[in-house]
Amino acid sequence: MVPVMTILATEELSRSFPRVTALDRLTVTVGPGVTGLVGANGAGKSTLIKILLGLLPPSAGTAQVLGMDVAAQGAEIRRVVGYMPEHDCLPPDLSATEFTVHMARMSGLPRTAARERAADVLRHVGLYEERYRPMGGYSTGMKQRVKLAQALVHDPRLVFLDEPTNGLDPQGRDEMLALIRRIGAEFGISVLVTSHLLGELERICDHVIVIDGGRLLRSSAIGEFTQTTQTVTVEVEEGHDLLAARLIELGETVTAAGRALLLQVRSPETYDTLRDAVCDLDLCLVRVEQGRQRIEDVFKEPADV
Amino acid sequence: MSERPSRPNTPAGGPAAPGHPAAPGAPAQENHSSPVGVIHDIGYRHYGGGRLGRSSATAALAVHSLRGIFGIGRTARAKIIPFALGAIMMLPAVVSIAIMALAQQRGMAYPGYAAGMQPILAIFLASQSPYAVAPDLRFRVLPLYLSRPVTIRDYVGAKLAAMAAAILLLLAVPLTVLFVGELLIDLPGAPLTSDYLASMAGAVGYAVLLASLGVAIASLTPRRGLGVASIIALYLLCSGVSTVLAATMESVNDYAAAGWAWLVNPFFLVDAAVHVGIFGTEPAAPGAYPGGIGVAAAIVAVLGLIALSVAVLIMRYRKAASR
Repeated sequence: MVPVMTILATEELSRSFPRVTALDRLTVTVGPGVTGLVGANGAGKSTLIKILLGLLPPSAGTAQVLGMDVAAQGAEIRRVVGYMPEHDCLPPDLSATEFTVHMARMSGLPRTAARERAADVLRHVGLYEERYRPMGGYSTGMKQRVKLAQALVHDPRLVFLDEPTNGLDPQGRDEMLALIRRIGAEFGISVLVTSHLLGELERICDHVIVIDGGRLLRSSAIGEFTQTTQTVTVEVEEGHDLLAARLIELGETVTAAGRALLLQVRSPETYDTLRDAVCDLDLCLVRVEQGRQRIEDVFKEPADV
Repeated sequence: MSERPSRPNTPAGGPAAPGHPAAPGAPAQENHSSPVGVIHDIGYRHYGGGRLGRSSATAALAVHSLRGIFGIGRTARAKIIPFALGAIMMLPAVVSIAIMALAQQRGMAYPGYAAGMQPILAIFLASQSPYAVAPDLRFRVLPLYLSRPVTIRDYVGAKLAAMAAAILLLLAVPLTVLFVGELLIDLPGAPLTSDYLASMAGAVGYAVLLASLGVAIASLTPRRGLGVASIIALYLLCSGVSTVLAATMESVNDYAAAGWAWLVNPFFLVDAAVHVGIFGTEPAAPGAYPGGIGVAAAIVAVLGLIALSVAVLIMRYRKAASR
């Protein structure tokens, strides 16, 4: 069999609900690896996943997943893809093991295979002794891991992960992102992962698709995104200019943005430099915030730099 | 890229990692240094085994649900109600066997068993059918099922089959114990084999009708408590209306109308359709059911209620799935 180089493809895909148009003539192609689907809340990410799973018929246009048409071969698609929903989906009175075994059987795995796969996958997502306890007592991080495990338990060729970092603390977020990277690179399972934060997907994706209002804004390999460097917004009570001068002197890149400074993060040491500069100058620090790249900003930049 | 994952086949965790990579040629010095009981991360393994079809997934779902209805695989507290009600269902059978053994007389009649125990069956239906469907709606597990090959029809079918099997078990076990008891005690005269078989057919009728009604009502709300209350309320309403209407009609000597009134109670409806209508046994209701067209009407009503419940379920889940 020839390896499928196109994991999924949509052609003029539209979906309207009575009040909103969730998808508007979306045409994208996704190859193997980790693909990020970025958009604000309500941009049509979840609708797209539901259509790709064959659960929601498109109003117009066509879509193919692993070479199969979503309208005609929904059941065959669902056999070989995994889905991690955005919302909670775990019954609290079952243990992670029981639940994952059950979900494996729902995907058609025989009983013993389901047990082995569940144990394997729970270990891979990082659940150990706690997997025998009822899931009602799990932390958000553990719940997200079980949700991921049930999407992987039948060894799919493609997984749809809908907002997998939702509700996680920074450390949990990093662990989840590393895990997703592993799924794509090491497990050899293609991933379509959604997020409303471009910055977070940049770190793990090979390819990023940005949609807004159901329309395609941009679809390109990660290297083509110019703003891969992170910025932090720094605000001090007085002495912006002093701080800016000091940071430039220390070799950092700073731009003024209204009452705040935008500092480019070259490496983790940049934070130390910033801290030391503020201390040395004896300034009152008001705010240090991770630069949240607005998705639209990317498209104001020239596309090919 | 700093995010490159570690290569597969590297041992997990520090303690298991030897000083240098374990080359195949140098096993001797590894033997004593590798600790016992360390889990080695052998990397991700793909699954190359068989994948069964939709039907076996549906069967697995039905078995899973049936176990859940009886609290198996759940907490000890979840087992109390189903097993206590199951034990109560056995009581008439045990008492009847005792009467047969000691007094050489028959106790409970086979076809009247379910109708006689109807409050217990109603409580079982009310307490357990919400468990079969409500958690999947409340905790939004349904999208996980639907993102797999299982369809809405398979899901509904599996849940109905599980609930029907539970009620069938609740009825068939005491009936069969009673029949085996009768055969062992060997009362004078022939054993009531035909009555036993009629009651087993009736048990199937009860199981399918009650499960359909119970699961359909329970599926309308994601809240279990509300489901329990709705089903028990519907049962009380039906049996109350039926009894009052029948008593009123009998008091004005309109026995034909009283016969129809009994059919409002779903337990007497199945009794009239299967036991009396098809097998010609004695009615379990205090009065006679309408004959002739009444039998046909009872059978049509049973089938109609089942069809209506299934239609409600399919519609309910279509709507839930599109959310």
